[in-house]
Amino acid sequence: MDTRNFTFMFYGFLAAWLILVVYVLSLVSRERKITEQLKGLRGLLDDRDRK
Amino acid sequence: MREKLIYGLGTIAAVLLARDLYSIFMQLPDEASQGMIYRIIFFHVPAAITAMLCAGVTLITSVGYLLTKNLKYDAISVAVTEVGLAFLAANLVTGSIWGRIIWGIWWTWDARLTSALVCWLLYAGYLMLRRALEEPTARARISAVFNIFAFVDVPIVIFSIKWWRTQHPQPVFWGGGSIDPAMYLTAVLNLVALILLAVVLSLIRLRQEEVQREIDSLRRYAHAV
Amino acid sequence: MDFFRQTLVIARKDLRAELRTKEAINASLAFALVILVLFSFAFDPLEEQTREMSGGLLWIVFAFAGTLVLNRSFAREVPNDCLDALVAAPISGAALFMGKALANFLLVISVELVSLPVFGIFYNVHWTSRIWSLLLVLALGTWGLTVIGTIFSALTVNIRLRELMAPLLVYPMLIPVLMSAMQLTMQLIAGKPLGGENEVWLRLMVAFDVIFTALSLVLLETVLVG
Repeated sequence: MDTRNFTFMFYGFLAAWLILVVYVLSLVSRERKITEQLKGLRGLLDDRDRK
Repeated sequence: MREKLIYGLGTIAAVLLARDLYSIFMQLPDEASQGMIYRIIFFHVPAAITAMLCAGVTLITSVGYLLTKNLKYDAISVAVTEVGLAFLAANLVTGSIWGRIIWGIWWTWDARLTSALVCWLLYAGYLMLRRALEEPTARARISAVFNIFAFVDVPIVIFSIKWWRTQHPQPVFWGGGSIDPAMYLTAVLNLVALILLAVVLSLIRLRQEEVQREIDSLRRYAHAV
Repeated sequence: MDFFRQTLVIARKDLRAELRTKEAINASLAFALVILVLFSFAFDPLEEQTREMSGGLLWIVFAFAGTLVLNRSFAREVPNDCLDALVAAPISGAALFMGKALANFLLVISVELVSLPVFGIFYNVHWTSRIWSLLLVLALGTWGLTVIGTIFSALTVNIRLRELMAPLLVYPMLIPVLMSAMQLTMQLIAGKPLGGENEVWLRLMVAFDVIFTALSLVLLETVLVG
């Protein structure tokens, strides 16, 4: 196989996937944040109902 | 149900991507004049098509929101726009790297690249616009209208190659040239894989959006009580 | 005929309100002249190359100065509930948009027509060689600028950080029409006629104007009322 520009091609693929990975990571962190918030709010409301 | 859809489609996408990566690196021969770097086209073009499809979907859901006032359409709009933006960014970056090798420059202001960059800026502006509006119905309405305006750039991006003399190459796969069928197959399969990936990511983002809305309404309820 | 009458009423009202104080138009004109002067420091206006790209500079000046006028279009209606009055008035959203767009167009183009001779003097550019074509390009480009500026003024009227968001959204949207106007202006100032290679830019400008005018006419009511 011709190895001309192999590094750049590698960077190219890496870049494309990195962008998608960064997006997926942002989704994951958002997920964590909102499940925490949801739990907190639900707990707050349950306490209030119980009182 | 949706969980199963996410995992199912995700698996298919993963399998296709694995097959394609194997094909791209192990099986396909080198292109005559470009050498190795041409292999990036197998992600560059499908990413572009996926991004344009996302733009089309958000146009439909934006119009759908304006017609029905159902906030579900608004949730789909934001989810799909975000995913489309990620794919468009990948498209711009891979194209830039390819251009650095083939043309010697990272960027040029020809019609295709400029309109693609403008497209990215417009949909990023859409997300920023949503941040500036807190009230849900106003946010949905205003951003839906903006989305309709933003979509006008998409045909310009797609047809810029035909309407202007561009530095960006003429269409390779659907332009009427002759393509090695193995390359064509890999490209099409990769397109399917990326579209499935986009669907999976949109579904995940959509679910997050729905949870966020539930949180907002719970919060409002908590303050009211 | 109702539509035209309503449009003229709104246009006249806006023009009268603006001409009474002349705030926006003075600020816009001053801004345009200042930018023209500033740009002349960035490039040496006597070189041949500068003269060639001065058509592009001209449209940057018009876009920035025009946005000053256009952003105020609906923002001006917010105090004293004027916007609610306009929305409640028995005029169609399309007429409201057209009236405001018309008034804005006249204001912006008057600023441009004053800037043009100043530009010619500062940059030593003969812009009169193809005057009618140039005026056509000016009109088409300014209409595109006006339509987008007006509808986005309505879009952002109730937003937090309106002053920041409106330009941020408007300028990318304007790129097709600005690019066309810049290309055509550069060619016309260099003495080449419209047509032939230029046609694609002219067609883009006309298509841009038609599409966005149509969209704005239909959507203004949705934007303001819902």
